[in-house]
Order: sequence, then C-alpha cells, then structure tokens
Amino acid sequence: MAKIGKTLLKLDNVTMKFGGVTALNGVNLEVKEGEILALIGPNGAGKTTVFNVITGVYKQTSGIVNFDGISLGNQKRYQVTALGVARTFQNIRLWGDMTALENVITATDVHKKSGLVGALFGLPRARREEAENRERAMEILRFIGIDEYSDRLAKNLPYGVQRRLEIARALGTSPKLVLLDEPAAGFNPAEKVELAATIKKVRDAGYTVLLIEHDMSLIMGISDRVVVLDFGTKIADDIPSVVQNDPRVIEAYLGVPADAS
Amino acid sequence: MKIRNYWNLRDFGASIWENAGRPMRVAIVLISILLVGLLPFMGGSFLATPIASFDAVLVYPVGMFVLMSLGLNIVVGKSGMLDLGYVAFFAIGAYTMAILGTTTKLNTWEIMPIGIAFAMIAGVLLGIPTLRLRGDYLAIVTLGFGEIVRLVVLNSTWSKGPNGIANIPMPPHFGPLKFELENQRLFFWVVMAMILLTIWMIRRLTVRRPGRAWEAIRQDEDAAELMGVHTLKYKIWSFTLGAAVGGAAGVLYASKNLYIAPEMFTLNVSILILACVVFGGIGNIWGVIIGATILGYLPDRIRFISDARLLVFGLVLVIVMNFRPDGLLPRKKREKAIVKKGANA
Amino acid sequence: MFSVLIDQFWSLTIAGVALGFIYVLVSLGYTMVYGVLRMINFANSEIFMWGTFGTIVTSRDIFGYTQTSAPATGGKLALVLISQLLMSMAVAGVTAIFVEYVAYRRLRAKGTNRLATLISAIGISIVLSELMRLLTDSRPVGSPRVLEKIILTEVWGANIRLDTVVTIFAAALIYFLLERFVKLSRMGKAIRAVSMNEDAAKLMGVNLNRVITTTFLVGGLATGAAGFFYITVFEYTKFNIGFTMGMAAFTAAVLGGIGNIRGAFFGGLFLGLLEVYASAVLGTQWKAVTVFIVLVLVLLFKPNGLFGEAVQTTRA
Repeated sequence: MAKIGKTLLKLDNVTMKFGGVTALNGVNLEVKEGEILALIGPNGAGKTTVFNVITGVYKQTSGIVNFDGISLGNQKRYQVTALGVARTFQNIRLWGDMTALENVITATDVHKKSGLVGALFGLPRARREEAENRERAMEILRFIGIDEYSDRLAKNLPYGVQRRLEIARALGTSPKLVLLDEPAAGFNPAEKVELAATIKKVRDAGYTVLLIEHDMSLIMGISDRVVVLDFGTKIADDIPSVVQNDPRVIEAYLGVPADAS
Repeated sequence: MKIRNYWNLRDFGASIWENAGRPMRVAIVLISILLVGLLPFMGGSFLATPIASFDAVLVYPVGMFVLMSLGLNIVVGKSGMLDLGYVAFFAIGAYTMAILGTTTKLNTWEIMPIGIAFAMIAGVLLGIPTLRLRGDYLAIVTLGFGEIVRLVVLNSTWSKGPNGIANIPMPPHFGPLKFELENQRLFFWVVMAMILLTIWMIRRLTVRRPGRAWEAIRQDEDAAELMGVHTLKYKIWSFTLGAAVGGAAGVLYASKNLYIAPEMFTLNVSILILACVVFGGIGNIWGVIIGATILGYLPDRIRFISDARLLVFGLVLVIVMNFRPDGLLPRKKREKAIVKKGANA
Repeated sequence: MFSVLIDQFWSLTIAGVALGFIYVLVSLGYTMVYGVLRMINFANSEIFMWGTFGTIVTSRDIFGYTQTSAPATGGKLALVLISQLLMSMAVAGVTAIFVEYVAYRRLRAKGTNRLATLISAIGISIVLSELMRLLTDSRPVGSPRVLEKIILTEVWGANIRLDTVVTIFAAALIYFLLERFVKLSRMGKAIRAVSMNEDAAKLMGVNLNRVITTTFLVGGLATGAAGFFYITVFEYTKFNIGFTMGMAAFTAAVLGGIGNIRGAFFGGLFLGLLEVYASAVLGTQWKAVTVFIVLVLVLLFKPNGLFGEAVQTTRA
C-alpha cells in the first residue's frame, strides 16, 4: 500500500452554473497524494462536471481549484495536463485512426521540448525524444497489460481494451493525478475484478487516482475514501464502510440497492 | 483475399515499398523521379494537349496544382481544417514576386524566401484569431479572407489595381539551362523539385510529433487538448506551412507567367485546389498527387471540360463526398503489424 | 470624407434600411438551417442568386417586359410584382430543397464527419453558380423596370422612392409572417424543438428529415423573397452576385446570433446601415472588406452575436 501524503488537489467551494441550472453547489473536495478517491452519486449529481471543472473544460462560476499549489483557474486545458492532471472519458474518446501505441505516444509528447524544426530536420533531440516516447509508451501498454495490441488501430480494438487504452493514454502524460470517468462501464464482473487490480496497480506505481464509478462493490474494494455528490452538493466524505451506511447516502440512492450497478 | 489486395492500389504500392530493402527503395525513388522528369519530352505522344503546349500544361496547371494541393492537404487533410482561402497565399507569393521583381534587382530565387515569409506571416496573422473558431466558421472566414486579399490588390495603387503587373522577370538561368516561354521544361523541373521538397517535409513531420498532434486534432480536438496537445499552436503551424507552400507556388507562377492580375486569384482557385485534394484522397499525399494530376490535366486534354471546368470540379466535390469520401486513394490506415501478426499466428 | 455621410444621412439611412431588410431575409436562410443542423448552408448565397433570376424571368419572359417597355401600373403592376415575388420564392425554395437532398441528406444518413458535409455543400454551391454562368454566358442580366421609381415625397432632404418603400414594407411583412410561422405553427414548433435538442425531439416523435427539409424550404423562401427585392432595388443580376450577398447575410446572421430568428432581423438591419454608411465614407469598393472585418471581429469577441442569446453549446 502506498502511503497517503499531502493534499494534491483541492476544490474550495466550487460552484458551476449553466444558465439557471446549478450543476455544482459549493463543492469542497480534497484528494491526497497516493490515495484512490471514489466520487459517486446518482445520475446527474455533477460527477463528470467535477472532472470538467478540474481539467478546464468548464470554467467554474465561483470557487477555487488548486492543484499541487497552483490555481487551475487561468490555466488552459493543455496546461492543466502538463501540470500533471490526466483523465479518461466516460464515452471513450480515443483517436480511432491511430494505433494503440500512437495514442499513448501522442500523450507522452506533453513533456517533450522538441518541436516542428526538430522534427523536420531530424535534430538529435527530436530523434532522442521520439525514441524515449516510443519506449515509454510501450512500457505503459505493458504495465496496463495491453501491449499485444500496440499496433492495432484504436477503433478496431475490443471494447474492454479501448477502456484500458484510455487509462494507458492518460498515464502517457505522466500525471500526478489520474481522473477515471466510469472506467468499468459496460464491464462484466470478471473484467471488473481485473480492472480493480489494474487501478490498484496504477496507484501503487505512484499515481493518485480520482475515480467516478457506479459499481459499489468495485468502489468498496479499492477506494481509500468515498465522496458522495447529490444534486451538485457533497453529502458524504468518508471511508467506504462509513459512507455505505450513511442514511443520507442511502436516501440519495433510494430504490437502488447498494450492490447494484 | 490475396488477389483482392492487388486491386487495392494503395496497399499494393505500400506492400512493394515495405518489402523493399534500402537500396531497392533508393532505386525506386530515383527511377520514379527520372520517369516523371522525362515527362516534358512526351509532348508528341497521346498525352499531347490541343490548346496549350504539353510542357506548359505540365507546369501549369498540373505541376502547380500538385504543389498547391500538397500544401492545402497539410491543412485540410492532416489537421482537418477547411481552408477556403488558400488562393490568398498563392496571391501573396505572386504579388511579392511581381512587385519585388519589377522594382528591385532581386531575382526569383532571392524573392522566393521573401514570398514564402510573407505568405507565412499572413497565415499566422489570419490563423491566430480565426483558428480558435469551429470548423464551419473557419471555412467561411478563410473564404472571406481569400476574397479580401483579391479586393485589396484590385483596389490598391501599389498593386496597379485591375491592370495587374507586367514585365515580371523570369528566373535567371542555371548555367547552360535557360528558362524560356516556348520551352517550359526547366520550369517543370523546378516545380518538381519544389514538390519533392514538400513531400519530404510532410513525410518528416507526419511521422513525428507534429504529425501526431495534427492527427489527434483532426480526429478529436477536445481530446487532443485534454491530453496536453497545444492545439492552437499546432493548428497555426499547419496553416502556416500550407501558406508557405502556397506562397512558394505563387512566386514561381508570377515568374513563369510574367504578368499577373487580380482576376487570376479568385475564389475559384481555392475551390479547384480543394477539389484536387478531395478527389485524390484527403490526407494521403500520393492520392492528392494523383488527384491533382488528373484534375489539372484533363481539362486541357478534353476540350469541353475546359469550358465547364469549375462545374466539373464542383460536381467532383459533391459526388466524391457522397459516394467515396476517402477519394481515389484513401488515407493510409497504418495497421501493417496486424497483417504480419495474422500471418505468424 | 465624412461630409458625404452628414449631407446625405437620411437618404443613406433609407437605402440602408432597404438593404438591411434584404439582408434580414437572406440571413434567415442561414440562421434557420444553422438552427437545426448546426451547420452553415454554404449554398444559400446561390439559392439567392437563382431567386433573382426567377424574378427577372417572370417579368421578362412570362409577362414580356423589355428594357424599353413602360413600367406597369395599377392592377397589372400588382399582378406582375406578386408573380415575380412568388416565382423568386418558388425557384429559391425548390433550389433549397434540392441542395438539402443532394448535398446534405445522404451524408447525414451515413453520419459522416462535418468536414465531408461542408465540402459537399461547397461543391453544390459551385455547381449552382457555374450552371448559371454557363446558362447566361457569364454576362450580367438586367431587369426590365416594372415598378417605376417614383419619388413619393421628400423627408429631411431625402427622396422617398416607391421601390424602397415597397421593399421595406413587403420585406418586413414577410419577415413577420415567417417569424409567426416558426413561433406558432406545428411545424415551426417542431423546428424549434429540433434546434434546441435534436435527440429529445426525435424521441418525441418529430420526423427529423421532414423538419430539416421544411427548414431548408422556409429558409429558401425567405432568401428567394430577398432575391425579388434585390432586383426591385438594383435591377440587375449576375451568376456571381451570391458571394458578396452571402458573406454579408451570413455576417448579419452571426451579428444577431446565428440560429436566432430575431437576431437575423437586428443583424440584417444593423449590417445594411453599416454597409451604406461605410460605403459613403470609404468608397463602395471597400464595402466587402468592411463586412469581412465586422464578421471577424464579431466571431472573435461576441461569437454568440450582439443581440441573441447563446446558441452554441459547450462541448466536453
């Protein structure tokens, strides 16, 4: 088990409004280094909105998002990624016409310096970085366990592999924090068990994980802490066993048994 | 299965190339260059064109169309942005040549980098504000830009307005090789060299970081940005490189034509070039080359097309998009390894 | 430079309003289609151009007017004008449906990317203008004068001419009728439903293809009406007039907030006035440049338009 360290990401009283609709209402959230934090809640609770605010897709209406001592408020999306936040998408958004390996290599480019001129004239640094990227990307594919698919086009990969490739691509950016948006969606129980192991492995390799998931057994099995959102408001934030028995959480999920997915 | 593969021209070509060793590849390239280089001597054959002389047709439209299509393909094919004002960069290159060529002592080769630089600057200036826009807005703004450049040269005194600029100097001779109007062989070889340079540039960039960034932007721009691709920067680069090629083509065109006027730089040119790219296969440089060659050559070979050239090109756009959106030679799918793996298993 | 603007302020303003109403109608063509498809109808400019030819063909070939015949009066005048208007609208409406059918429908059914649809639309717009170029031998076509340009009265030194008055009032009426149609009719409601949320509308049983065809038709009718007024005021057309008109009307639509019908109204009038004033100050040859600069500025700083509410949805 990795040690849980200082606060890595902090959402301070974040509110997000779309026209008249309040998607997030004064949410406070802390993610600590080395933990797996699960973000749960009924549909429309604002979970993906949290991801979108962190990664700069939306600009929050009010409140502060602080990552590793830096306010993300004025950062562009690609800068947020460069600072060390990477994400996956609920609806898979790989680059379908690229191979699995190229998908990851493209992500590894974020920390590289060489640009157009280097590429054009094959300058030594560009060549070196290309080789490094390729090696690093291959390493990540092996780490996630999908290296045998490295030369396949992403769009032709089996569904489960695509989901894993999303994680691999996020790791390609060498993030400190990985945001996983329903990584187990559409998985059967066996695949879920395997995925849980992968997520743990990712954390044990030194990444911090913030995870949106619906599958309670998966969450209870791997997360260090669970945050529950309901109608854009945080209603619980504790270790899994406590959250599981919180009456407000049960109420929010009323009619949905805790072990259903 | 195997036979079917040979019907696929792209895969057929790719398989020859991949199975060839380095000396073989060098040989293929050199022989191809030699064969294409000998084209101007084929004027007496069935290829002969009724209106203009064959070597002139090879320079313009064919060679120039290929060159410009490769440039536009960087923008439309590689990074998926629809630039309808490509003619503007062609015009900027041509006017740079015309004005500097008639007012200074600089020769074509000295003006070439200046023309390219001006086209690139125009590309950056237009790109920075507009490349933030969504696809169809970008299309209409570039469409407007192309027309604005024409209107500006039409209504300005420095460009001699609608009269255009005459007496533009030809390029200086290369040793014993002289550029002349009656025999445009030399021009063709220069265009060929520029095309080769462009192909080299595109191939270099495509397999490295810029190419990946463009590809990611083309397929899913939001995902690209969230994975750390500085999308605006790479879009501007793509736009600017396309502009550079257009500018270079313009410089050479002015120096070959000796006379230019605003009416040569209408929206139609942008559309013709776009049709070449689309017809051959958006994103595939070999497809684009074949497409531009066919669309450049046919109207000069078959007379009735030349009257209705633009109508045909418009139809090409509609028909290709509706029935074969990937064009003659589709974009490479790059899944070679899967074939090899399948064979081993 | 500015003295022209001050001396002729009122006559310029009247001309600007008349031009503005023409823009309003053409920009409806853009805005309606954009509303439902979230895509620019690149061929709308050529739909307009075909409408102008419909207008001229009616007076010249159906009613037999020539450049030298006397303008019509009384009942005959009304008959010719209304026939011209209806013909222009019919030609443009049919062209619009043709465009949708040929350039958009198949690609929509296949779910291809936007780039393909854009290119297809540009292709059809080239086909339409080239076809007309070949038909007219690249020559401009003048319109016989049906409506005599009588000066009705003079206000603040500006001549109020009959054609301007007809244009302003009739165009305003057509705009009003179209707006009512979209607001109140069953089909209009379906159009609005699709433009707000396509999936939801489909789930509610809206026939998407029919809605889209109708939208093209309505946009085409508005654009066609503009073609008639354009001829009434300018009395001339050519295969390539669509480009400038299209740019201006699209700019008007963006100014008003594209996808927003009322926005097209304000955007069109604003642009009509701006263009007339700018031409008076800078010279008519810079008209298109002015329009283009306005377009770029609006897209950069107010992409949702000056008057309308936001139509674009944030993509995630």
